[in-house]
Amino acid sequence: MKDVIDVMELQRVKERKAPIIDYRQREFEKGFTPSRFIFECGIKLNAQPLTLATASVLMHRFFKEVVDHSNYDYFLIAASSLYLAGKVKDDSLKIRDIINVAHSTLHRGSNPLEIGEEYWTMRDAIVQAELLIMRALKFEVSIVHPHKYLLHYLKSLEGWVGKDSWNSSPLARTSAAFLQDFHHDPSILDYEPQHIAIACISLALQCLGIRLPLMEDNDEIWYSIFCKDLQKDKNWEIMEKIMETYNKEPETS
Amino acid sequence: MMENKLRKYEKIEFLGEGQFATVFKARDIDTGDIVAVKKIKIGSRQEAQDGINRTALREIKLLQELHHTNLIGLLDAFGHMSNVSLVFDFMDTDLEIIIKDNTIILSTANIKSYMLQTLQGLEYLHSNWILHRDLKPNNLLVNAAGILKIGDFGLAKLYGSPSRLMTHQVVTRWYRAPELLFGAKQYGVCIDMWAVGCILAELLLRVPLFPGESDLDQLTKIFGVLGNPTEETWPGMKSLVDYIEFKSFIPIPLKNIFTAAGDDLLNLLEDILVLNPLKRKNCMECLQMKFFSNKPAATLGSKLPLPRNIQKIRESERTSLKRKLVDAADGGILSKRLLF
Repeated sequence: MKDVIDVMELQRVKERKAPIIDYRQREFEKGFTPSRFIFECGIKLNAQPLTLATASVLMHRFFKEVVDHSNYDYFLIAASSLYLAGKVKDDSLKIRDIINVAHSTLHRGSNPLEIGEEYWTMRDAIVQAELLIMRALKFEVSIVHPHKYLLHYLKSLEGWVGKDSWNSSPLARTSAAFLQDFHHDPSILDYEPQHIAIACISLALQCLGIRLPLMEDNDEIWYSIFCKDLQKDKNWEIMEKIMETYNKEPETS
Repeated sequence: MMENKLRKYEKIEFLGEGQFATVFKARDIDTGDIVAVKKIKIGSRQEAQDGINRTALREIKLLQELHHTNLIGLLDAFGHMSNVSLVFDFMDTDLEIIIKDNTIILSTANIKSYMLQTLQGLEYLHSNWILHRDLKPNNLLVNAAGILKIGDFGLAKLYGSPSRLMTHQVVTRWYRAPELLFGAKQYGVCIDMWAVGCILAELLLRVPLFPGESDLDQLTKIFGVLGNPTEETWPGMKSLVDYIEFKSFIPIPLKNIFTAAGDDLLNLLEDILVLNPLKRKNCMECLQMKFFSNKPAATLGSKLPLPRNIQKIRESERTSLKRKLVDAADGGILSKRLLF
């Protein structure tokens, strides 16, 4: 465990605007996951944030279950996870829209897919993969997300520090961004939702240089009121994992 | 994995076939338990194109997390080829069959037992922020031990999000609450409570209380008994999207319809069948009413009457069961379900 998290590393400006990625060129072995693809497609489809989180988690769980990743097409599994997540979260994502968006995201600038042989093959593949995912996950598709805990903790902190100091910093937005981005990494599966929520806030506090009242004076951990079973080094571990997510991001396209 | 599952259940008999599923009675080879296996069809072209059936997925997702004596248990789910199968508790009969069977006598104590079990299951469901949205006698399943379980979660949904609109096209018409008939898109436990009220009335009358032939006729039948609501008794009613003015009816006292019912039972019914959804009592409030603490005590499960064929031949209760499971397998198509 490092004593200090190098928050400067996060602040070093990469490229503020996310680079346009040619997904077909990505090397997934180096830690880049299809989550980015799920998020890009999902945002284009106007999906709810929790639907996207669900899709990412389903996708990560699937690849954790199957032995040989090279047997599966990453984009097919990603598109199918998105479709399944829409059903799980009652967020109606139409299969035809998913196919069109996935196709145009993979083949940027190409013409829309004609209804024909290729379309029907893709549609069939997505439906088959959906069932495959369900079976690999043993039909357990309910997910407890960290989001609701994050909201609850942030609301409580808001009440504690008061409205004025709360509004003076983007703590809530930053924490939420860390949480969303952490979904790019499969290690999100390894931690309790409560712990992830705390780690996101901790990291945001560090990055923004915010000290909560009474934080320094004693050894009391600020989050102990929310969560009793999170050790300090575990919290650091999750924070480091969140930071690592950004290192796996491609620098340029 | 799949081969193991297939060997885990031994098919006993074919029970029925619906639009979305085929149901088998089967035996769990490890435990010897009798179960109902509902095999969701993905055979048809429509299904094959859309993948996993949404109704089945809802049942899987919700029932995996819910465990209560009075809710149907999802014991297992497995897939083979392009099929999905759900394994449920095996239930011998349901309230619709019991109500229609005129050889069965439904005493106050029996009705109390069915209501108690229904309300307890429903209270658990509501306290977990889930609405059933399709309560009717046919979905209240009863086994040979007299345990009632709420079944068919194909329309069930999480409720309580203030921003999320929901469809008013839920609940089989005869059990549909007036606010749904007026097109309400935001609602809560009150819609399930209305259905419970209709079921209670049906247990007493042995025929549906409001057998409407259309949505308009449904409201006519309701107001014909309870009288018309006014802005005073139901504030905000006129702002519902499908609101229309009805000709005026004179309410009929429930005592005149349910001549054999005691006052405590009538009080319960009066407090559930309230037109204003906010004034309708919820499960907890109902369970605390005098009806449930007064004598006679609710009949014990083992003493509840059963249809003859189940009493006589407990092992082959085909006819009644077949009908029921075909209905249950039919999924969420509402209009279909009214064609008895």
